[in-house]
Amino acid sequence: MELIPTMDSISVKHIEKGKHQVFIVLVLGILTFLSSLIALGLGSSENLDMTKVWKIVLFDIYDFFMNLDIVLENLWHNLSGCFSLSCNNRSIMYGIDREGTALQNSMIYDWRLPRILTAIVGGIALAVAGSLMQGCLGNPLVSPLTLGVASGAALGAALAIVLGFTILSIPSLAIVANSFIFSLLVVFIIIQLGKMRSISAESYILVGIAITFICGAIVSTMQYFASDAQLSALAHWSFGSLARPNKKNLIFMSLVLIAILPTAVRWSWDLNALSLAGDEFAISTGVDPVKLRKNILIVSALMTSIIIAFTGLIGFVGLAAPHMSRLIVGNDFRKLIPCSAIFGSFLMIFADTLGRTLFAPVIIPVGVMLSIIGGPFFMYLLLKRRVQH
Amino acid sequence: MSVLGVNGAGKSTLIKCLNGILKPDSGKVSILTFEESDNGLVNVSELDLVGLSRVMSYVPQFIRTSFSMDVFDVVLLGRRPHLKWRISENDRNKVSETLRYLNLEEFAFRKFDQISGGERQRVVIAKAIAQDPNLFLFDEPTSNLDLKNQIQIMKCIRKIIKDSKSPKSALIAIHDINTAARYSDKIILLDNGSIKAFGSPDEVLTEQNIADVFGVKSSVVLTDENYIRVLIDDEI
Repeated sequence: MELIPTMDSISVKHIEKGKHQVFIVLVLGILTFLSSLIALGLGSSENLDMTKVWKIVLFDIYDFFMNLDIVLENLWHNLSGCFSLSCNNRSIMYGIDREGTALQNSMIYDWRLPRILTAIVGGIALAVAGSLMQGCLGNPLVSPLTLGVASGAALGAALAIVLGFTILSIPSLAIVANSFIFSLLVVFIIIQLGKMRSISAESYILVGIAITFICGAIVSTMQYFASDAQLSALAHWSFGSLARPNKKNLIFMSLVLIAILPTAVRWSWDLNALSLAGDEFAISTGVDPVKLRKNILIVSALMTSIIIAFTGLIGFVGLAAPHMSRLIVGNDFRKLIPCSAIFGSFLMIFADTLGRTLFAPVIIPVGVMLSIIGGPFFMYLLLKRRVQH
Repeated sequence: MSVLGVNGAGKSTLIKCLNGILKPDSGKVSILTFEESDNGLVNVSELDLVGLSRVMSYVPQFIRTSFSMDVFDVVLLGRRPHLKWRISENDRNKVSETLRYLNLEEFAFRKFDQISGGERQRVVIAKAIAQDPNLFLFDEPTSNLDLKNQIQIMKCIRKIIKDSKSPKSALIAIHDINTAARYSDKIILLDNGSIKAFGSPDEVLTEQNIADVFGVKSSVVLTDENYIRVLIDDEI
């Protein structure tokens, strides 16, 4: 009687290794989720501590499910982006006392929760964009801001703040639209240059550096002639902050991210081939490096610009999250992209919460906090790698 | 089949025109594949890159490693032209088989950038085998290897062709006349971008041809084991 041939031991080990990695990623995901819950409870307000926050939230969840029909009806009529019905309405609506004061509820739902959700969305977008860029340019020192996306955004913001040159005349969205449009303009220029002279990965990076210089020069000139108020506004914009996007902005960012993410994930195999051993190797596996590179740059730039247009410049996440993920799942993009997303959101939540609580009631914006954490962290990574080799 | 010629004669260019890295200015490339579906003759310039990578696989001369993966995953990339998203059991088995075939089992889970040059070359060859193509293209597979590795790689390539169940060929761009003579069935001698001679080693490697193409005086002998050996005397 013939035994059913079992899978070869090497294949078995490969599957085991894969399962092991997925397990770790899931655990990290759960930890990140828990950390967001903890972040919701932390803050600088004296009469709103962790237990109070959770009492309020849990009661609200209970109420929500108890009164689902009323909630849905109200949400339909009230698409102003609130996550819960406004306190007063609800008390009137079914005559129960809200847990917590109106101020406390507002702090949780109008202030902290959107902030944490923005951290998650922004973290995912920047981290995934970072891993895409590193893969497509074959360089671990690249971040989504490398190709000049950041300098384009800064240029747009500066034009709006200092010169009043805006493309969209809605005041609340003027800077946002400018940053977004100018950062995409930068990417467009780079892609066109790429078409004219079929350029390699290294050349893209050099072009990015050149454009950063050019945009930086223009911004510096504007800064020189700007008034103090304008300078201050521009400086504040450049410290990326999660407080800037409101709930509508958050929904918009999330929708864009949800629309783009599947495309990024579909490129995982191609990125594996492209990032491993250069363009010729990629071609031998059936991957078109020039086309793929162009598409990835566009997607990555979109993901990054949409976030930093609303929040201001946030660095480090796009660079560090893929590195941290690589330590756990290696360079397989099918696992690297989700793992980077998790690390990205964790980093953002961590930095933002730290910035909110460290010197309470002073808030250090997330961009600054990430820069502070970033330097030493990178030093550590570098030293660790030296030891391994 | 080996492609011989001086630097700049067009060996690498020929290979790169075949596999889609370079586009020829004129002319057409066709490959006989013995598949029933397309009358056996495939017009390579009509295929997209994925189609090309199913028909032929390419082992480049230099392998840059920026990011590292496990050796198993590198070889698994060879299955990419054949898979959609999920890795099937068949794919994994093919990779394992190929690793065993090339004596690479102990390296299966080592990082690609932490093994030696010869081993890395074998891994890329394993990937090429896992691709299951009709034609193997090698660009200078022996140039960066030590003597023993050179012999092992050439023997390995011959073994792949001989052992395969369906008809396959290998086209090898190579520098070393003697390695080519010893291990090839046929030789293409390129001179300035055109074919000077094509045939078995004894037909192609005449003292006159070698003098014309390489500019050196030589003596060609037939060894006891019945292969050609070229002894180089001096430049002309």
